[in-house]
Amino acid sequence: MVDFLIGVFLATLITALFTTRLYRLLFWYALNSLTLGLLALTIGTRLHDRAMLLSGALTILLKAGAIPYILKVLSRKFALVRQIPPGIKTQYAIMLVPAILVFTFYLAEPISHMVQGNANYVAVSISSLFLSLLLMIEHRNVAPKIVGFLCMENALFLLGTTATEGMPMLVELGIFFDLLMAIVVINLLLYREEAQS
Amino acid sequence: MMLFWLLLPPLLMFAASFSQSVWARRLLPISSFAVLIPVAILFRLPKPYALWGDYLVADDLNTYILLLASVVGIGVTLALLTLDRHVRISQKALYRFYRFFGLFWVGLSLSILANHMGIFWIGLEMATLSTVYMIKTNHTPAAHKEAWNYMIVGAIAISLVLFGIILIYASAKPLLGEKAMLFDALLHSAHRIPSPFLFEMGFALAALGMFVKMGFFPMNLWLAHIERAAFYPVAALFSGILESGVMAGFFRFSQIAGKVNYDHLFLFVFVYTLLTLFIVSFLIFRAKDFMRLFSLSGVEHMALIALFWVSGGTFAALLHFGAHAFLKPALFLSTGVLESGGRYRFAGALRGYHGVRGKLFWFLVGLFMLAIVSLPPSPMFFSELYGFGAMIDNAKASHHLLAMLGAIALLLVLLSVIFYRFVAIYQSMKYEGEETTKLVYGSEVAALAIFAVGLVALLLPGTLAFLKSIG
Repeated sequence: MVDFLIGVFLATLITALFTTRLYRLLFWYALNSLTLGLLALTIGTRLHDRAMLLSGALTILLKAGAIPYILKVLSRKFALVRQIPPGIKTQYAIMLVPAILVFTFYLAEPISHMVQGNANYVAVSISSLFLSLLLMIEHRNVAPKIVGFLCMENALFLLGTTATEGMPMLVELGIFFDLLMAIVVINLLLYREEAQS
Repeated sequence: MMLFWLLLPPLLMFAASFSQSVWARRLLPISSFAVLIPVAILFRLPKPYALWGDYLVADDLNTYILLLASVVGIGVTLALLTLDRHVRISQKALYRFYRFFGLFWVGLSLSILANHMGIFWIGLEMATLSTVYMIKTNHTPAAHKEAWNYMIVGAIAISLVLFGIILIYASAKPLLGEKAMLFDALLHSAHRIPSPFLFEMGFALAALGMFVKMGFFPMNLWLAHIERAAFYPVAALFSGILESGVMAGFFRFSQIAGKVNYDHLFLFVFVYTLLTLFIVSFLIFRAKDFMRLFSLSGVEHMALIALFWVSGGTFAALLHFGAHAFLKPALFLSTGVLESGGRYRFAGALRGYHGVRGKLFWFLVGLFMLAIVSLPPSPMFFSELYGFGAMIDNAKASHHLLAMLGAIALLLVLLSVIFYRFVAIYQSMKYEGEETTKLVYGSEVAALAIFAVGLVALLLPGTLAFLKSIG
């Protein structure tokens, strides 16, 4: 089950890289967050870790539900451009994505035997981080950059869940709080976008 | 209870910023000044002092940093009182500035006082996010663009720090359990960490994130562009408070990394800072306006502090840190007057001041300009003497004496380039260009005077003894 969810997590992120429409990108982000939440719930159930179960539930509520919805509302409110063609051509991106995956599996090889749990999960987390960075870099519009930032946060959450079998509850709640604050700041920054469009 | 008093003034500032009444207008600067009171009380309490269990612990190092930051906060608040006389800013935007300033203080206080890597990160992220809006208070396209840049690059830097923290936690969790998040527990058990390689990977990533946030290689210009686009108090906040918070984190992480493998830590930081200084010295040489000049000089000094710290010159690093925390915000705040009327040129910037306030202003700014390049009796002169002494001791103890001495000589050449440029700029400010009358307000001179008193206080025997005791 965990392998399947990690696979879906990576697949949604890769699909997001090729998306050219904003709402579809938000959908892939929501799905990415949903798999992350389910993953935390699955691992939390296996380890009988209440903190991880709570953070899994919060992930589903906030990241798979509230944040994509808020971003959709904001994009309507400020009439953001919904056509978001990636800056990197598809044929190059198709080569770049596997290269990143191979590179990160190679990069994570010396670390992977030192962490608890499945070594490949750490490699997937690191590759997700690079793919999220790619998502931020390949777009000129603001909205995909925001989604890239949120995906990067998901990748770090995945690393925390898989490499350490869960971060302390206090840290995870703090990260959720900062994420909500980031959304407030993004809202304030978007006021200018309204004037430009 | 102490934590409540520490957080009360910034929270009051945050709450008052929502009101548009006259009392709120008075309360905002008062609450900012009031930050110093609990910090000063905390500074005098016996250490270590647990503010919140193991999570927030005050010790000599972090209370010193917090005290410096709160003095800088007072200087910035004094400058904010006359901000609208130098730049166009609406009352609403100023209130919002204070709102995020309050949040910034909460984040920074948590970050500086944290004994927990997670809380350190949460505080730093909170402070980073709150500065984004402060940049945007300047309603220009450049400030808007730079606010987004700051949001994105800052987020990447902070994510790298979190990535590093997760790896450090993973490396020590089998030994310490959830206590692997605590700086003091990690420091005590550094020799027994089961996966030192994983720890070092984590440290390298966290340090990289912190270095990017401070404008080190390869992001040397991003802070300079942001500070150029934002109003000048934002730059003072960055250099005097935010960067101090980041550096406090670097001190904590590097203490542990030094115990895990000192040679690796030293080599990593030495090469990184040397590369940064190499690029920054040439960028300073080509700087054409005050903001970029001071910003790049801030990167130079942060690199030196990191270098002195890992070389074993902790006293030198802390003295340099204190001097920089006062000098750089003072210089940034003075740009409000130096560049008044949109004149960004160096020539004649120190001419055209009349009356007692004006004369005191140019005297203090001139003094700060020369103090920042370590002319004696600047505290930076002494800190660099001790710092380079520590580096030479380190070189003698290493197996690569000649290479190390060569690198130190290169460093001195780079610092000479910066010294030459600053002296040339000072001469141009004082003796070249046209003389145009500039207005200086009482609060601005008061802010500079506070920083000058702070600099003198750093050289008092009691302060020097205190800094040596931290080392």
